[in-house]
Order: sequence, then C-alpha cells, then structure tokens
Amino acid sequence: MFTITFKRKGSSDVKVTASPGDNILELAMQAGVAIDAPCSGNGTCGKCFVKVISGAVESEKSVKISEEDYEDGWRLSCQSKVMCDATLFVPASAESFKSDIQTADLSSQEELARYFELVTGIFNTGIQKGDVGVGNGIAVDIGTTTVTAALLRLKSGFIKAKASLGNGQIIYGADVINRIIQQGKPGGVDKLRRAVREETVIPLIETLCKDAGIEPTDVSRMVIAGNTTMEHLFVGANGDSIRLEPYEPEFLELRGKTAADLGLPVAPDAPVVFAPNVGSYVGGDITAGVLTTLMWNNPEMTLFIDLGTNGEMVLGNSDFMLTCACSAGPAFEGGDISCGMRATHGAIESCTIDAETMEPTMGIIGEGAKPIGLCGSGIIDVISELFRCGIINAKGKFVRDGERILRDEYGAAYVLAFAKDSGIGKDVTINEIDIDNFIRAKAAIFSAIRAMLNAVDMTPDDIDYIMIAGGIGSGIDIAKSISIGMLPKLPLDKYIYIGNSSLTGACAMLISNDATEKVHEISANMTYLELSTHPGYMDEFVAACFLPHTDASLFD
Amino acid sequence: MAFKRVPQKFNASINKVVVGTGDKTITLGGENVLPFYTFDAPIENKPKVGIMISDTGLDKTLPGIAAFYGDAESLVDVAKKAVTAEGADFLAIQLASANPDEQDASPEDCAAACKAVADAVDMPIAVIGCGNRDKDAKVFDKVAEALSGKNVMILSAREENYKNVVASAGLAYGQKIGAESAVDINLAKQLNTVITQMGFSGENVVMNVGTAAAGYGYEYVASTLDRITAAALGQNDTQLQMPIVTPVATETWNVKECIATEEEAPDWGSREQRVIDMEVITATADLAAGSNAVIVKHPASVAVLSKLVNELI
Repeated sequence: MFTITFKRKGSSDVKVTASPGDNILELAMQAGVAIDAPCSGNGTCGKCFVKVISGAVESEKSVKISEEDYEDGWRLSCQSKVMCDATLFVPASAESFKSDIQTADLSSQEELARYFELVTGIFNTGIQKGDVGVGNGIAVDIGTTTVTAALLRLKSGFIKAKASLGNGQIIYGADVINRIIQQGKPGGVDKLRRAVREETVIPLIETLCKDAGIEPTDVSRMVIAGNTTMEHLFVGANGDSIRLEPYEPEFLELRGKTAADLGLPVAPDAPVVFAPNVGSYVGGDITAGVLTTLMWNNPEMTLFIDLGTNGEMVLGNSDFMLTCACSAGPAFEGGDISCGMRATHGAIESCTIDAETMEPTMGIIGEGAKPIGLCGSGIIDVISELFRCGIINAKGKFVRDGERILRDEYGAAYVLAFAKDSGIGKDVTINEIDIDNFIRAKAAIFSAIRAMLNAVDMTPDDIDYIMIAGGIGSGIDIAKSISIGMLPKLPLDKYIYIGNSSLTGACAMLISNDATEKVHEISANMTYLELSTHPGYMDEFVAACFLPHTDASLFD
Repeated sequence: MAFKRVPQKFNASINKVVVGTGDKTITLGGENVLPFYTFDAPIENKPKVGIMISDTGLDKTLPGIAAFYGDAESLVDVAKKAVTAEGADFLAIQLASANPDEQDASPEDCAAACKAVADAVDMPIAVIGCGNRDKDAKVFDKVAEALSGKNVMILSAREENYKNVVASAGLAYGQKIGAESAVDINLAKQLNTVITQMGFSGENVVMNVGTAAAGYGYEYVASTLDRITAAALGQNDTQLQMPIVTPVATETWNVKECIATEEEAPDWGSREQRVIDMEVITATADLAAGSNAVIVKHPASVAVLSKLVNELI
C-alpha cells in the first residue's frame, strides 16, 4: 500500500492510502478532493491535470499535455495510476468549479431589476398570485453545471435570500449523457442523487435559510425546475430511457411529491412542485423559462434560446410553440476547450484584438486577476476577433504567423497571455482543436434554429424577438455572436437577454398555483421536434460549421 | 392543348477552365444547362475522358492491358502508349510511388518523372497524388515547378493541405488546382471559399467532389453532384461553378469486384471485364450527374466512355 498526498493552494493536504494501479482521479474523488473532469475520466477533455511534486505516477503521455509540461511533472489525473508514494499538486484551475461561479443567480442589481420586470409581466397577464398560502418557499433551478436557488415570501413574492453552487454531479461528467451513464453503474443512482441532493441542493437550502434567518422547517413549499435528466437524477428515476431509443423519459410530470418523499430538510409535508418536461431533451427548466418569456401570451413571433450544455430553443407565439434541443456540448461553459474554464475568477470574458499587431486586449473576471483561461463569452469574443483580423480562416485554421502564433505537429495556437502574464505560470492559448470544437457548438445552435424555422416554413426575418437565457448570456456579445454565425443576422434590438429564465419561472410557480398550472398548460401545448431524426439537420449542421456560414448570404 | 417545350436554360454557367498548352488544350465546363441537355442549349465543351497511368507500373495480368501497352515499361514509354488510346482527351499521372508507407519516392524524383513524361507527350496532363496529404503537398510543389508553363491540373488540394498546394502549385507556378472534398456539397463549397480567399481565382479551380464505386453508396454521390449542379446553375452560386473532375479509377479498382481473381470468384467471370464494367458504369453515372471530366485506367473504358459522350452530344 502507498500513500498519495494531494496538495492544494489554500487548503490542507489530503492523504489517502492506495493500492498499485488505483486511478488518481478516482482516488481524489473518493477523498473529496475536487478535480474538474468534464469528460468524467475519458482522457478527452484535458482538464484534470495534477503536478507530481515527489514520487511518481504511472501515466500515458497525452496530446492534451505538451512535452514541456510533461517534463515539468504535469499529468492527467484520469490517465494516471498509483505506482509508489507520491505527492501531487492540484492546481486552482482543476478545482475552479468549486469556487464562486459567476452565474445568473439574481445577485446583481441589474439581474434583480430584470427579475422583477419579468415576474411583474407574468402576473400582468391575469395569472393570480398569492394563492399558495403564507410562509416561505424555495425555488431551485438545477442546471447541469450550476444550481441556483432563491427563498421567497409566498404571499408577497419578496426575495429574502438567493444562492448558487456548482452542481456536485460535475465529477461524474460535464454533460447529461455522461451523467446518465454514470447513474447506470452499480450504486450510481444513489451516488448521482447524493451529489445533487446532499452535496448541492441541501447545502443551498441551509445557506438560504441561514441568510433569511429562518429554520429549514419554516419552508412550506418548494419548486424545482431542471432539465429532464436533472429531474430524473434528482428523484432517482432511471435516466437510461432518456439516452436510448425511443428517447421516452420515465416521466414528464411529477405531481404530489412532498419534502418527506424526497428527503429534503424543509417542512415534511411541504409540497415539492416540479416544472413539467416536454421530452427527453426539453425539460422543466425550459417550460418554466417559457412562462417567463410571455411568448405564450403574445402574437409576436418569438425565438427563445437557452444557451447551455444543451442548447434548447422554443419558437412560437400565442398560437403555437415548437421546441427542440441540440447538443451544443460544454463549449459554452468552457468545456472541450483546452484553456476553457467556467466563468470564475481569472476567466477571460471579453476580448478585442488589434488587426495589425495581433495583440489582444482582454476583460478578466475578478479585480486585478491574471488570466487563467477562457469562459464561454470570452471564447465567442476571441474567435470572432481572430476571424475578423484574418488570423484564422473561415474553417477556423490559422493563416497568419507572428509572435503570438505557435505551431507544432498538432496544429497552431494563439497565445492570449504569455506565461509571465498569466495566472497559471504557463501560456494561456487557444488552439485549432478548441476552435473546431467551438465551431461545432455554434453550428449546433444555428443549424437547430434553421431546422426549426424550416419546419414551419419561416425565415429569420419572421422573428420579432429573440430571447436569450442562460448563464453564458449575461456577458455575451450579440454582434460578435452574429459575426461568427452563431445567431441569425437580425437587428440587435430584436435580441433580449432574460437571464436565468428557469429560476425566474420557478419563482413565479412558487408563489402561484395559477402560474404552476399555466406551466403545465404550456408544456402540453409545445410540439417537440427531435433533431436527431430530422432529415436535413445534418446538412444544416455541416453548412454551419464555417465562419460565419457556408451560405454567406445569410450574414451579408 | 399542344405541348410547348420550354428550354431549361440557366442564366448562370459553369466556369470554363482550360488545361494544357498549344494546340492540344482541353476546355472543361462552360455549359448553362443540365448534363447532356443539349436540347435546351448547346453544350460547347463535351465532357472529357482522361486515361490514368501509375508510376508504380501496370497490371499486366490483365490481357487487355498487356496487349495495349506491349513492352512499354518505363513511365515515359507507358505514357506514350496511353496517349494513343482511342478517345483519350488527357493524361493523368498517378504518383503512387510517393506514398511514404511504400516506396516513399522523393518529391524531386516524382518531379523528374513528370517532367520526362511532359516532354515526351503533347496531351494535357493531370497529376494525381499518392493520397498522403503532407507528402502530396511536398510532391506537388516540386512537380508544379518542374511542369511550370505546362498548365496542368494538380489533383488535388484538400482541407488539410490546400494552403501549401494552392500557394505553390497555384499561385507560384500557375497550374490549375483540383479542390477535393468528401462527397458533401457544403464541404465542397467551404473548400472553394477558403481557396479563393487566398487570392487564387476560382476560374483556375476544378472540383473533385468525390465518388464511390457503383453500388458502394453511390446514391449519395448522385445526390451531391445533382445538388452542386443545381446550386451552380439554378442559384448562381459562384463558389460551386467550378467544373467537376472525377478520378474514377482510384475508387473502382479497389473494390472487391475488381480485386477478386478469377480463381477466387469463378462465378463472376473475367476480372478484366469486371474492371472495365465497374469503371464504365461508375464514370457514366458521374457524367450523367454533372462531372465535366472522368479519369479511368483501362483503355477499353476510355474508348467506351468517349463514344458515349460523342453519341450523346
């Protein structure tokens, strides 16, 4: 038996006993050392690196780690096995998801103002509020990456506290498919439920109650809105039916649940209301979000897009609603990108590049922070700027050379920050594979929009409003998103950012039975378009894998 | 009511691309009607048939090949015979010897071989690489230089190596460039776009949008060719108006119908006949769907395809 010591900056060392051949990432997970592994240990994301300080680990070389970094002792923890005693350093970027994720959680004045405007709008349609009694309630939005929650007075709708936390399931994979696969392993149902309930939602409930100065048992109503997979994993329902043909989830609606049924520490008889799902990949977060958009009540044609790991969208108005989901992958949240990270301290969130000198000017999250990596909005900016400056071509390949362009056998990369200026002690770069991954993500979104418009024989010009929701949205530059062909070319004033529409909708459901019934009605009235079986979607997708698009006339 | 024929003539047309020099040039493209629709408008430049030879030698186990080429052994001698094939419009030299996994011939040797052939024949030439993208880029650089002024077709530039191939063979040495993509209208258009964005005129580009041997998923090829032709003519899509050149032999000779010996597949009859049939059937389909040139290997295939084109136009 050997001893493996995990060292972290600002936390105490963690020692574990291990047998030869044990996987380092699994050891860290068991010991409670958080290592971000969006691909859940498949060796494909290149995020879970650790540095060998003393001793050694048995590790395959990987294209995800440069020759130089390998010499320095950096290893992918998921590809490393125990062979002797070792001390490993876990860098800040590998555990960044545990820190304060910047997200749409109603924490800024701007978000609060937007929230009140949206909620007021909902109740101005004639929906009654205050029909759920008195006391306190909690609304939770369970996102694949981030969970946000708010504690409200049920009678007045006053927000007494709000909080957010990274979804504890993140160590089981960045996307819903990996989570479902993990759930299917022995003990997986409990593990996944535990990660989201005990490690995420219950701590959030406790934080909210503490901040509001009440006991958890004073909470007499809860609403949960999550995508179909999140709702399944939360209640311990089998997620396989979501992943496998014919893609029919175990449940669409879950009614009559109480806190006692679900093991939540609020008043045992408190009803826990779930926002209803429409299909396998369009869930309660979207139905609650649609309530917020008011598209169901307006004759104007609205396109609602929730930009996340699953890009869900809804097109319609008071007459009809069509919905679909495309697998954009984790790129918008920094996954699948070598220098990608979530929008936390040190993330580059905006960027402009000088076309002549190729020098970047960057906006970084956190006062005086040094750049560590790129978050979703930063990636959009950087790719848009690289393209505008002619540094990459329409295929996303580097076509200029200079001090900031590195080339090796795997392709080329652009240096955003040299080692001396970065927060990680090595260059922060974006390479051709990253750009390729992002182009696929943006193509998934755009081609889904096109497929949905084609299904109802419409063009982008028929759309009156495009409402963008999701954590990425707050920092997103719409003009740049259009310049790379992610969103249709429409006047910027048609775009409206509505923040975390899922949480906003969940809050409205919390203070109103009438609103809850409306969400069920919305859900029942939505037509689900399955893109994986949609003829022509693949063609649209390939056409969109180009900057801005193979059909340049769409962006003239 | 009497039938009134409305000619289906388009306002757009396929680019005209001239290959070769002197009296023996060929012109590809230029038409503004669907393939073989001469009843709608005249097709000035008939589709062309190329005969392919390889620098790794001939398959003389086929009696027809052995009889046609006789005692020709060197690439130059083989080329001199090939250009005499009935109906051949141009000569395609496949530089299979450059393949790094096999003979790994140097770019300089390939260039010298091509130069010798070009000096010995006066037919327009196409040069086909070994298929290894990196090696092809190096080989094409030397070959384009050696054949400078001969106005040959370089087949081909792909997404992985187009920058080098276009910069060298196209921009520096003024050859015609074949843009090769994998049977997908969008990928074809994307490659043409990035090539022309390099400052290389689309008027000097031909497309190899890929083919499959007949029976090997050919319906997708047919649909792709159809849609490219429709976009080029019907929608005046300038990034898809390049003439299409389809190397047929490089696909058909590798399928089991053409590989299996007569001992292995006694029910299938003569191997040589199978090889010819596969080339002719595939090339005919390519021509019918919009190819402006096809490249085959067997002299008998060349003769049949040439006759077909001449009978129809």
